[in-house]
Amino acid sequence: MITIQKVTKKFQDKKTSITALKHVSFSIKKGETIALLGENGAGKTTLLRSIATLLQPTEGTILVDKFDTMKNPNEIKQKIGVLFGGETGLYERLTARENLAYFANLYGLGKHETKVRIDELSRMFGMRDYLDRKVGGFSKGMRQKVAIARTIIHNPEIILFDEPTTGLDITASNVFRQLVHQLKKEGKTIVFSSHIMEEVSMLCDSVAMIHKGELVYHGKLDHLYKEEGSEDLNYIFMSKLVRGGTHYAI
Amino acid sequence: MLFKLYVKELKDSFRDRRTLLLTVFLPIIMMTGLTLYYEKLVSSNEEESYQLAISNSISEEMKANLAVHSNIELLGSDNPKKMVQDGDAQAAILLENNFSEKVRKGENTSIVLIGDSFSENSSALLSIVMNVLNEYERTVVTDRLNEAGVESSIIQPFSIAQQEVSAENPTINLVAMLIPLILSLAVGVGSSPAAADLFAGEKEKKTMEALLMTPVKRSTLVISKWLTISTIGVLTGLITLLVVVLEIAFFTENLKIAVPIHDNFALIIVFAVLITVLYSMLIASLLMITSIIGKTIKEAQSYSTPILMLTVFPMMFLSTTGLNELTFNHFAIPVINVFSILKELIFGEIIYQHLMITLGSNLLFILIAFLIGRMLFMKDKWVIN
Repeated sequence: MITIQKVTKKFQDKKTSITALKHVSFSIKKGETIALLGENGAGKTTLLRSIATLLQPTEGTILVDKFDTMKNPNEIKQKIGVLFGGETGLYERLTARENLAYFANLYGLGKHETKVRIDELSRMFGMRDYLDRKVGGFSKGMRQKVAIARTIIHNPEIILFDEPTTGLDITASNVFRQLVHQLKKEGKTIVFSSHIMEEVSMLCDSVAMIHKGELVYHGKLDHLYKEEGSEDLNYIFMSKLVRGGTHYAI
Repeated sequence: MLFKLYVKELKDSFRDRRTLLLTVFLPIIMMTGLTLYYEKLVSSNEEESYQLAISNSISEEMKANLAVHSNIELLGSDNPKKMVQDGDAQAAILLENNFSEKVRKGENTSIVLIGDSFSENSSALLSIVMNVLNEYERTVVTDRLNEAGVESSIIQPFSIAQQEVSAENPTINLVAMLIPLILSLAVGVGSSPAAADLFAGEKEKKTMEALLMTPVKRSTLVISKWLTISTIGVLTGLITLLVVVLEIAFFTENLKIAVPIHDNFALIIVFAVLITVLYSMLIASLLMITSIIGKTIKEAQSYSTPILMLTVFPMMFLSTTGLNELTFNHFAIPVINVFSILKELIFGEIIYQHLMITLGSNLLFILIAFLIGRMLFMKDKWVIN
């Protein structure tokens, strides 16, 4: 579904050059839920943004369902839904329905299709009671639901979440986890970055660990547990990244 | 798609209480204050009364001479200079002892005028007193020449009459400064919050990334946002101008008298609206650039403040420039040309050559500023924080 081939991303200005990703290669299968793990500044967001066509790789290619992110960004945008950071990215002065309808419009959905999809998502996420209220007065949990609904309004095959539960309270985080479970059941391919290992253990099939722009591990979660002789993902993460573990199993 | 984006941006902007406040209410309040201040400025020149301190010992004849001018109120004192220093009078006149008698006898005598040239009121009073004394001096000289059997025309070989090129009420010049100033302020104040919100605000609130993830072209996004800022600018400018025109018509006397209703009044209104639209589009383009560069609303507003300040500067250059002194540059340089062309229109002059230069110049600068904004918006560096 997603193939990342020798991707390097450099950010350059007149004085400095920062390499955010160094020759990263791995693949994500259809229907897989994969977590990108790494310290702050490791390159997770850069990789997610590159998959989402918001950034162009300096070297290498990213193929999403055989479409190249550099050559066919619009085809890829139709297949992908993205939610970046703890911020929900909603228009506060518009109602939840207006936010959803606006993005449905931008994705080219017709009037009837939009109405059906909004009804479907509001039932799925339990948003009916506040669908016609302005987002500005919503709790974090309510916002999170609307934001995820907006992310998948066009029914994308692939969903990218960048640290989706950062800054959220327990209730809002649980809302997110429940929704990811639902999306998994629908066979969506989900890629998300996180610092919360319990969340990763709970939701993911695979992990990709990135350290200073380099991929240091990619594989199934149960393989990783077997390999490390532990199911403590925090411990494994520390061992592989912070302690500079050299037994990278790529 | 462009229309849908435009409608959503407008809806979102007008639901913002800050935009509503700055777009409609604040300009109306500000401009009402400015209009009434100008009205007071005009009327004060005619009705203001000034206090002139005189010595208690001044002769009745001199008192009568000075009291000729209805604006002057005479205040007797033993120390007229102190009255000026204490702020009880705007100027004082000190006459030599037995001044009137010495004048009558043909002896040399003197007058001292005390005033404060830093004070507008004091300067105005000194000017009035000087005119009164000059007139009195002329009368004395004429009397003395007559006594000596000499015609007074011998020292006044010719008379001077001053005529104005324009038959307009001089107050119109104030209106010609007031209207462009109000327009400039209103468009800037009105469109600035929306501009900051539509680019920097979207980056700050992370809605920009969601927007960029849709298949909509970036150029469509930038045009819709620019159109929204322009529309808000036009609406603010026109609403404010309408309010000011109504206020001049119903709540002022002097300003109302000064504004002439020419035969081509309707055409002047059409051109004024056209200029407002063009000016709003130019300001929208400039504010769009500052908002794209800014990472947050606050940063964008910091960048836009100097631009908004610059837009009121032309008033200083043009307040003392007559219509016949306006050159090509006045109509070719952006912002200055708005002040210049509106000045002409308010004076009832429609000069198509000047209108075309203003139109062409504005369109060119709008295009350049818009293209710079679009170029920045196409680069990830400026749209993703």
